[in-house]
Amino acid sequence: MSIAAVFVNVLVFLLLAPLFDGVLRKTTARVQTRQGPPIVQPYYDLFKLLGKERINSARNWAFKLAPPAAFASILAVVALIPFGGKVNALGGRVDAVTVIYLLTLGGVSVLLGALASRNTFAAIGASREMVTMVMIEPILAMTLILGAARSRSLGLGAAVFGAAGPGYGAAAAVMLVVYLLALQAFVAKQPFDIAEAEIEVLEGPFIEYSGPDYGLFRYAMMMKQMFYAWLFVAVFLPFLRTGHYLGDILTQLLGTLAVFILIAVVGSTNPRLRIDQAVKIYAVLILIALGAVGLAVAGV
Amino acid sequence: MTADLSVPLLLAFALLGAAALAAPLLARRRTLAGVVNLALVAAAAVLLFLVGYGSLFGPAGHASATLSLGPVTIPLVLDGLAGLFLGIVALIGLASALYSIRYLERFPGRSLRSYYACFPLFLLGMAGVLVVDDFGLGFTLAWQLMTVPAFFLVRFEREAKETVRAARNFLIFMELAWLLVVLGPLAVPGCRFGDALPVLAGKLGQAGGAPLALFFGLLLAGFGLKAGVFPLGQLWLPGAYSVAPSPVSALLSSAMSKTGVYGLIRAFLFMAPAGNPAFDARTWGLVVAAVGAATLLIGTIQAMKQSDAKRLLAYSSIGQIGYIVLAIGVALALALPAGPAVSVLAAAAVIGALYHALNHAIFKGMLFLTGGNILYATGTKDLNKLGGLIGLMPVTAAIAGLGSLAIAGMPATSGFGSKWLIIASSVLAGDSGFVLVVFGVIALFTSAVTLACYVKFFGMAFTSVGSEWNVGRPVQEAPASMLVPMIALTAICLVQGLFPALSVGLVRAALERSEGFLLAGALGSPAVPVPSRALGLGLPGLGGPVSSAAAAPLVVLLLVGLGLALGALLRRAGGSKEVSAPTWLCGYQDLSNANRYTDRGMFAGLRALFKFAGGKSGK
Repeated sequence: MSIAAVFVNVLVFLLLAPLFDGVLRKTTARVQTRQGPPIVQPYYDLFKLLGKERINSARNWAFKLAPPAAFASILAVVALIPFGGKVNALGGRVDAVTVIYLLTLGGVSVLLGALASRNTFAAIGASREMVTMVMIEPILAMTLILGAARSRSLGLGAAVFGAAGPGYGAAAAVMLVVYLLALQAFVAKQPFDIAEAEIEVLEGPFIEYSGPDYGLFRYAMMMKQMFYAWLFVAVFLPFLRTGHYLGDILTQLLGTLAVFILIAVVGSTNPRLRIDQAVKIYAVLILIALGAVGLAVAGV
Repeated sequence: MTADLSVPLLLAFALLGAAALAAPLLARRRTLAGVVNLALVAAAAVLLFLVGYGSLFGPAGHASATLSLGPVTIPLVLDGLAGLFLGIVALIGLASALYSIRYLERFPGRSLRSYYACFPLFLLGMAGVLVVDDFGLGFTLAWQLMTVPAFFLVRFEREAKETVRAARNFLIFMELAWLLVVLGPLAVPGCRFGDALPVLAGKLGQAGGAPLALFFGLLLAGFGLKAGVFPLGQLWLPGAYSVAPSPVSALLSSAMSKTGVYGLIRAFLFMAPAGNPAFDARTWGLVVAAVGAATLLIGTIQAMKQSDAKRLLAYSSIGQIGYIVLAIGVALALALPAGPAVSVLAAAAVIGALYHALNHAIFKGMLFLTGGNILYATGTKDLNKLGGLIGLMPVTAAIAGLGSLAIAGMPATSGFGSKWLIIASSVLAGDSGFVLVVFGVIALFTSAVTLACYVKFFGMAFTSVGSEWNVGRPVQEAPASMLVPMIALTAICLVQGLFPALSVGLVRAALERSEGFLLAGALGSPAVPVPSRALGLGLPGLGGPVSSAAAAPLVVLLLVGLGLALGALLRRAGGSKEVSAPTWLCGYQDLSNANRYTDRGMFAGLRALFKFAGGKSGK
């Protein structure tokens, strides 16, 4: 029964997201000729954070609501996606527009917490995060709309698998390049880690968070990264599809691993951009993506 | 049937007229005047609801009537569409009348005579514009009855220069809108001033290209001016909405702007002569859609730049009306179809337009009243001076938060369902024109900008910090009689969001019970959207049996709820304790008025990118 696939989605993402983050950190360290933490370090971090005390500087409900809300939004996203190549019971009841908005809801939760924490650095980070969200959401949207336009359906399976199949057109090729260029922004890594920018605004939105609250935010971030890496594989690498559910899960996970290594290499070799520079890059990417959708509508 | 509905309608009008006479006489006893106004408005609202219900669900019949005033007769129409919009006017009017009673305490020295005389007349005028069935004498009477009282209501705080100027602009442009609409029929050969709309529509069927272009151009400009489309709305709307007393702002934005939308729908989706080869529905649809897309993008970007809470809400009203206009345009562009699949999308778009009009009436009402609560409690609407109200005004904050999520179209709120219909129908219309896909993408992008506006509104007013230093008085939650109407609107907003099939059913009933609807055929086909899928919405498959788009708020709510529970569980799992500490700014300084984050830096990168859109937060 495909309701079981919902649980598979959630479990795989909950269990493996920290591992991929570990790969990311390890690869980054190796690129910088450091030893780096063990690959399982993110699990240790999360466990440790769950037991530490929660420092609350804000004393309002929004501050407390934000971390579980961010966690819940991304969990809802991964529950719905056609992971393993087939649309599950719940994913069939919604469409791509729902997933796009749910990702935005996760971002909003971060902003809500940041602004509720009353910290000035958090507010700066929130402002940058919002700007980034506004500018990269259309790129994500158009990646899915490309598939929707080709298969004339916004259903999740059609939107995700429609872009590059059947037949790899010019539109998909252009969108692939755009997605790769936007990938670092999707996963908030250098050169687009502008909102958190540890050495500049001290993790921005998260500055006042500690203990399990911070842990939930980190966990949500890890799952978000895994989602975007998975989406690249699912949309643009149709040749990884085996036709079997478990086989597809395996190939998609391997593909995701490769994307994480790519993210780490790009991230560790590119310095951070300023927000105004980044916004211009996003604007150009949006226009190119719109062109790609145009190609898809024209049937190229 | 006809007599059944026109009797309660005229009775409601009489009650509103009585309110305009009775309440001002009692104006010295301020609360009593407010209560009398409320009682009469409430009675009229109940009657208007009955009329609306009757026109939507009562026994079908010919839904027109005439009103005789001495020698002249005015044709009236009481169909489903009019009934739907009458419901909006009645609901927001009722909420606003209750809210006004305590809100007007802000102006202790001022006579309330003109306020209570104009308030019911304004409602009467709006209801009149909805039911008159001509662009002649009846329309003129109703329009003036709407505009002139509204002018005095906007001008209520008349000692401020800004208010007087905004009210003057309001009057000038509303009279201009009236002129444009009344001139429209005169452009068509054989039409006279005062022809009933069905007569007019008949003559449009034989008219040539130039008169048609002139007629629809004038009506687009006139009703567009009223609804506030770009660039016409910017001329008067932000000023009028932001300087009016808050309950009036809510009426202007939630109810009055809908009369413009109503006019556009009547003109383009009822009177458009589908059989006339001189009328190019596709081109007109694309024009209207382009106007809508420009309106929603630019209005929302301008909203993002505002630092005055009510101006932000006003500009964002322009943006939301843009969604409705876009959907009307998409429906018209797809109206003369290439196949059944396309007419499904056209029907989805027009359902989305009306659904969004309903939703906007509710959540913008909530938000403007929230703005009123802030003004009532703090005396300022400058976001730079506010901040941290969440602890002081928890109910208002919760309502503002829900309203913000709804207007940004977050899943499981009401805005999601309607924006979903609009975006899905334009994106899926790709085969019929790439430009519609572009409009759909613009609408999606603008949703994120809307979110930015309301992150700013909620963030700077309710969370963050500032009011403790900049508001020189103790801040308290608003009184119960102001919160009650807001809570009622919130409840409706939640229902609209969680059970979209209800609203869609209402909208469909309205369209099915309206004669002359351009897409009546499409609406009748069994494939049309959309209450389906266990209280969710679905669009039937365009390419196959699988549904091509779907929204299911309850599924989303379930998943997010389970996620929240899991998150809460994880938070407790490690036995962590909560401790309190002051805000940490790297240890150099404590948080103070001098080092908090104000409007200037907010979204600076985006503002620089969208410099071309204008809309500085000027005074």
